Amino acid sequence: MIKSNQQDALGIIFANSYDKEVSSLVNERLMASIPFASRYRLIDFNLSSMVNSNIHNITVIVRKNYRSLLRHIGAGRPWDLSRKQGGLNVVPPYAEKNVKVYYGRVEALASILLFLKQQREEYVFITDSNIAFNFDYRAMLAFHKANNADVTIAYRNEAIPYGFMNLQTTATSDLYYTLSMNDGRVTSIHTNPKDYGPQNLSMNIYLIRRELLIQQIEQSYADGKTFFERDILSPKLDQLRVYGYEFKGYAARITDMVSYYNENMKLLDPENLHALFSPSKVYTTVRDDNPTRYIGSPKVHSSMVADGCIIEGTVENCVLFRGVKIGKGTVIRNSVIMQDTVIAGNCTLDYLIADKNVEISSGTELKGSPSFPLFIPGFKQI
Amino acid sequence: MSKEMIAMILAGGQGSRLYALTDKLAKPAVPFGGKYRIIDFPLSNCVNSGIDTVGILTQYQPLVLNEYIGHGQPWDLDRLYGGVHILPPYQKASGSDWYKGTANAIYQNLSFIRRFDPEYVIILSGDQICKQDYSDFLDFHKKNDAEFSVAVMEVPWDEASRFGLMVTDSSDRITEFQEKPKEPKSNLASMGIYIFNWDILEKYLTDDEADPNSSNDFGNDIIPALLRDQRRMYAYRFSGYWKDVGTISSLWEANMEVLDPENSGIDLFDTEWKIYSRNSGLPGHVVGKEAVIEDSMITDGCVIGGTVRHSILFSGVTVEEGAVVENSVVMSGTVISSGSRVTHSIIAEDVKLGENVKVGAVPTGPAKEIATIGSGITVGKGAVIGPKAMIKEDVKEGEVHD
Repeated sequence: MIKSNQQDALGIIFANSYDKEVSSLVNERLMASIPFASRYRLIDFNLSSMVNSNIHNITVIVRKNYRSLLRHIGAGRPWDLSRKQGGLNVVPPYAEKNVKVYYGRVEALASILLFLKQQREEYVFITDSNIAFNFDYRAMLAFHKANNADVTIAYRNEAIPYGFMNLQTTATSDLYYTLSMNDGRVTSIHTNPKDYGPQNLSMNIYLIRRELLIQQIEQSYADGKTFFERDILSPKLDQLRVYGYEFKGYAARITDMVSYYNENMKLLDPENLHALFSPSKVYTTVRDDNPTRYIGSPKVHSSMVADGCIIEGTVENCVLFRGVKIGKGTVIRNSVIMQDTVIAGNCTLDYLIADKNVEISSGTELKGSPSFPLFIPGFKQI
Repeated sequence: MSKEMIAMILAGGQGSRLYALTDKLAKPAVPFGGKYRIIDFPLSNCVNSGIDTVGILTQYQPLVLNEYIGHGQPWDLDRLYGGVHILPPYQKASGSDWYKGTANAIYQNLSFIRRFDPEYVIILSGDQICKQDYSDFLDFHKKNDAEFSVAVMEVPWDEASRFGLMVTDSSDRITEFQEKPKEPKSNLASMGIYIFNWDILEKYLTDDEADPNSSNDFGNDIIPALLRDQRRMYAYRFSGYWKDVGTISSLWEANMEVLDPENSGIDLFDTEWKIYSRNSGLPGHVVGKEAVIEDSMITDGCVIGGTVRHSILFSGVTVEEGAVVENSVVMSGTVISSGSRVTHSIIAEDVKLGENVKVGAVPTGPAKEIATIGSGITVGKGAVIGPKAMIKEDVKEGEVHD
């Protein structure tokens, strides 16, 4: 292995980030394993981005409901992460004596301090899993080095999503952050602000030297601090050189059910689809489905369809995941239908999010609305 | 530790009657059915039948096949002991030989088989489309206490003289072998799939190699020798879908049969007998506002803006708005530009069709003429590719090929 070919960084992914905001989707799973874009899970985009940026030592920290994620990522082979050096490292609660169900990021990182101390990479990327993107971590590392930064935070200039604006600020609520900056350097971090218009909204991607991270976590954990952003970075902006790195690429940020629906729908625009899936490939587990079969003369328009589907009815403005069946005479519009859901004939369906393995019997009529798509939980029969 | 049965797949064939499609790859590597290559069928059959050790004998243009097989992970054949092995001809202390015939190919790899010390060896052909349970075949072989068994298909009597035929007694024991006879005594055609007891295979291949007059072929030499010695030879009747896609029209036809699983018998949707393949890793296919898709199979990564009727599209094919594809097979990464019309054709991988190109035509006579374009070809705007054409080189704007 040639050192110069390696980005000298390891990755840490928090798999349960913002779970609470999409509670019906994470009933049996967690944010990282939510199906997205016809055949992927959210974590695929981050894992692929890391691997495509030559990061091959990745730790996934999970809190609960992680069975579906473990099933999905296995030993990490689809991402080329089944390796002797580095590879994929999943840390569930109680994995070791000191690993508990964490609350804030500091606790979670404190529980893997020993692991962090044993690694050799100079830098650490810390990320969440509620954003699908094609992220070049190398560019962010180059930015970090060029600015001689201690910490770099990736952000996007965008309006605060509706889901975030609705967040209550209580002791247990999810947190999001915006950055005030002066010439690239972060001057203040705002927690759960309610400002309108484009903001420097953090993507919760942090880059920091491993030694510095260990030092900060040891200190803060001893002081009983919980949140990396609020409790470590925010009070130390004058001591630490914290920089903001603007990500201008395509990003699908999931902050609530409506954004989940909308971000799927946005991919029906070929420009968005191309932006999310380039420049690098996105890897996922392979199911060995056959190609999708169109029987007779179904009318399918403006839709995205994964392999393994059988389509006999009318499909408009839909995202169909692998193995979905649409019966004859059925008209389905404006819907996101997850894997292996079977819709019989003569149904009329509009604005639906059907989780996986749903069975909808013939003649069913269901209608949601753009601002409130109707959700059907997995394995439900209607 | 020994294996009960290992498989040897003969995959060295050129498939010269597939012309432009096998210019750069061996016949077993020819793409089929939307996301497969022909060799996926015997490989998946092996895994589904519980065979975990497979040797693939390659010779002609092996690069694509080698890369495709890799370490065998898509077929679950990356094993600590066993797994899939590519076996090209190699240099030995006493010199090196190309594989002279099917029997010689196996003979040159006897040491590979010996490492696994199997009781049985199944010899497969790497260029047939067939879903077959080899464990059922082995049960038959064992039940009859056979030393050699061959899988056979009943064929119509009037076509029998085109095949190698097994003449059997009432217990299906083989009494005679007729290679493409004028007067067939049987309609049981050999599928070229054999199970040997390992000791018998080793002995007859070694004896055959010592015979300077032998053509080193299973059909011509080994089976007649077994018959001469009155070995216990049985014919195993197989009645499922089986196709040797040796020609452009049979390859086209087999692809069209995939579109009609209810009647053709080749069902790729069968979850009990999955066919595995290396995956493209592309997102789901996208269907545009004006698109029309009828009776077709479409694979991940396709972008459909135009009309697709009764066709198979491999991964990552683009059909622009205003383009029409009918009764055709279009392989991975090919772009069909606006205004183009593709009819009764096979278009290989990564072909670029410019605007308003016409390829193929609805056949008017009884001969099924299929226009074929080889991989990586660029066809300029407004070119016309006739129904008999076989395109191996780039076509300039406006050119006409009959």
